[in-house]
Amino acid sequence: MKPLASDHPFQILLAVVLAVAALLAVSMVTPLGISAYLANAIGQLAAFAVLALALDLIWGYLGILSLGHGLFFGIGGYVVAMHLLRHSSEVTGRVPDFMQFMGWSSYPFYWAGLDFFPYALLVAAVVTVLISGVFGYVSFRSRVDGVYFAIITQALVYVAMLLMFRNDTGFGGNNGMTGFLVLFGWPIGGSGVVIAMAVVSVLLLAAVLLGCRLLLGSNFGVLMIATRDDEVRLRTLGYETLRLKLAVWCLSALIAALAGMLYVPQVGIINPRLLSPELSLEIAVWVAIGGRGHLIGAVIGAMSVNALKFWLSAAAPELWPFILSGLIVLVVLVFPNGLVDLAKLKLTRPMGIKRLASEPELR
Amino acid sequence: MRRLFLILLFLSAAVGSSTAAELDRAELIDRLCGDAAALGEAGRSLMGVAAEGSTADRAWAAPIARAMMDRKLTCDGAGAVAITADGSRDALSGAPRTAAESGRSPLLSLKNRSVFEMADAALALRSSSDLGRRAAALRTLERQAVTLPELLFESAAAEESDPVLRAQISAVAEAAALNSVDPAKRIAALQRIAATPDRRALAKVGPLTKDPAYAADPAFKGAVDATVRKIERGIKIGDVLATLYNGLSFASILFMAAIGLAVIFGLMGVINLAQGELIMIGAYATWLVQEALQRFAPALTEYYLIIAAPVAFLVTATIGIALEAVLLRHLYRRPLMSLLATWAVSLFLINIVRVTFGTQNLNLVTPFYVTGGVPVIGDFIFTWNRMFAIAFAAVTLGLTWSLIRLTPLGLNIRAVTQNRTMAGCIGIPVRRVDMLAFGLGSGLAGLAGLALAPIYSVNPQMGQNFIIDSFMVVVLGGVGTIVGTVVAALGIGQVNVLIEPLWGAVAAKVIVLLMIIAFLQWRPEGLFAIKGRRK
Repeated sequence: MKPLASDHPFQILLAVVLAVAALLAVSMVTPLGISAYLANAIGQLAAFAVLALALDLIWGYLGILSLGHGLFFGIGGYVVAMHLLRHSSEVTGRVPDFMQFMGWSSYPFYWAGLDFFPYALLVAAVVTVLISGVFGYVSFRSRVDGVYFAIITQALVYVAMLLMFRNDTGFGGNNGMTGFLVLFGWPIGGSGVVIAMAVVSVLLLAAVLLGCRLLLGSNFGVLMIATRDDEVRLRTLGYETLRLKLAVWCLSALIAALAGMLYVPQVGIINPRLLSPELSLEIAVWVAIGGRGHLIGAVIGAMSVNALKFWLSAAAPELWPFILSGLIVLVVLVFPNGLVDLAKLKLTRPMGIKRLASEPELR
Repeated sequence: MRRLFLILLFLSAAVGSSTAAELDRAELIDRLCGDAAALGEAGRSLMGVAAEGSTADRAWAAPIARAMMDRKLTCDGAGAVAITADGSRDALSGAPRTAAESGRSPLLSLKNRSVFEMADAALALRSSSDLGRRAAALRTLERQAVTLPELLFESAAAEESDPVLRAQISAVAEAAALNSVDPAKRIAALQRIAATPDRRALAKVGPLTKDPAYAADPAFKGAVDATVRKIERGIKIGDVLATLYNGLSFASILFMAAIGLAVIFGLMGVINLAQGELIMIGAYATWLVQEALQRFAPALTEYYLIIAAPVAFLVTATIGIALEAVLLRHLYRRPLMSLLATWAVSLFLINIVRVTFGTQNLNLVTPFYVTGGVPVIGDFIFTWNRMFAIAFAAVTLGLTWSLIRLTPLGLNIRAVTQNRTMAGCIGIPVRRVDMLAFGLGSGLAGLAGLALAPIYSVNPQMGQNFIIDSFMVVVLGGVGTIVGTVVAALGIGQVNVLIEPLWGAVAAKVIVLLMIIAFLQWRPEGLFAIKGRRK
């Protein structure tokens, strides 16, 4: 990996992200023609980009495909939704609707204290690390990897979805949680708050991007790539890859949870469909389309696919699945490294497809 | 109680007197025209006729009892005249004649009226040709069933042509015998009930422990206790059998869904995420066959499940082979990418089917051979639709096993599964084997769709989430072994069915998944791993 100082594409991306954040921040003070709707869309895209970074860290740089990252995204989302609902019921003076439907007049014990934001953050982090840690430990210890690991993570998120669909768990059941009114005391629907949430999302995207880049540039990053490329050799040389894999896996889960915490306040609802295996698969698709094993690729992939999805879901909803499947097949067959290949194609020569295919690919 | 007993004594006397000889019709008419006591006697004779008289006597007596109830019988000097549906006739001979002016219609006292009401209903039950009238008569008889001769119900049940009414007659007779005053009869009835031990029987016998006779009569108490024990044992056996049977049918569906996946995954290390959609396509192909049969050969429509088997197999196998040749061929070295690629295919298939056929559930005819069932013991019913799934899975298993074990293609598939490189070195056309095996695996998914079509709702979404269940089967069983797939499907099916009634379907899924993750700690390569070097 190139040193950060000479990694121009990365610098450009980081600059663009920061510029967007600055632009949004300025528009809070003086109108620049950025509507609250647009800012909200940018904020959601930033949350998806953070999610894609989380997956790219584990898949692109460690070769472990998770088809269950929606689980950690969901944990972050559910915890922040619980935090917001605690404050909303301070305004309304009642427990949320779904609890009234269950005939509950007070919060169950595991909701206690979640109105205190640092505690909510801690809960999200602890739950995420606990689940990812236990699951990662038992899987990596018995050397479950590759396709096995991918499908078992998919089963995990599927089971979580089934659990959340139950109405008696105190997490909103199939209707999920909605009706958030205030965020840190401000009404959540105001355009100022919407833009502020977008600014925070974009800034955190920049922070995560930079953090991942620094991690990968360090010795730890070298070990990660070594594990990805030849884990058996690394183990034979005497390096225990279990701890490394587990650490990166938990870190990736935490980043995904952060993405969930950014995403849910901006869409204003969370329900178990966020935990559907399809969404988790889509994350992998964003990364694959953008370019696996490139932080830039993950960000660009998540942003472009979701922007396209936002637009087409309104313009031609019937068409979207066909376009998405076509894109995947195209990426899988012609551009194994996603849009990043496209960039290389232009930089080298027009007949570059042959050369790309003969280059060593990530497994 | 005592009055009941007295009536019963009278009844049995009446029955006893009329069994031996042929019915004396003239005497009966005399009694009908006699005083209240004679009238009562006549009513009991009529009941005796209903229970054990000859067909001719019953046919003769039925209109007379009816006429008595309606006060349409007139006594005069020459005998009696009954106005029946056929007009005014002499009660004894049946010849048309009108009653004399001086005739009088006998009036039934309240007590006699109930005797005649029963006699009329009993005769109607035995001789009426109208099903509705017979059913109404049974409802009337049910009110005083305890006092009526058992023989009446027995012969009525034996002659009844309608199965529903026959069952009702038996039930009334059984309840009557169970509440009879004669302990011997009650015990005999208990033994008859114990012959079909299910929850309904338990509901009948259970309240008897509060009967006064239960405390008073030790023989009766023993009989009741023994019957309850026997029924409870029968119910338990039935429940165990039902659980096993449900588990077996669930396992056979799991097996059908997983076997195709197992073949493909074992051979190429590729998980086909579109496998569920191939199942869906198989079900749609089955539906299309049914529609085609309805249009071109309506006589064969009922057999569409059998006729569709080759069609479903070939359609999905063709899709599978095309998929392999166009897409997966390029991805063998990148199995994770093949996951995404096959997911894209599944997305495409779901949406193309949605656009073509719509999202609604398809209507599939349920053929006669998958409807109904046979009650076995307790509440366990051996249902034919589940049996169909089990039998279909068994046949598929047999065919797949022989294909893999006995044919040259199977030999090649096994060779490539064990060591791809070496198989290539000794001249096995590895690529062609891949393609055919992929076709086989996809075709098996199509057959699974066919087996599911009569049980599941068939819509574009039906294939989703199959992949997780069937992959669990493959992981548990061990990659590339048919035995492993069978055992794992049976295990997961049974565990699921055992947990479900206790904690619900979601908990069953959670627990099964956690068990599989725990199991992988112990044997990461599954139950029946092919021996080889571990990575």
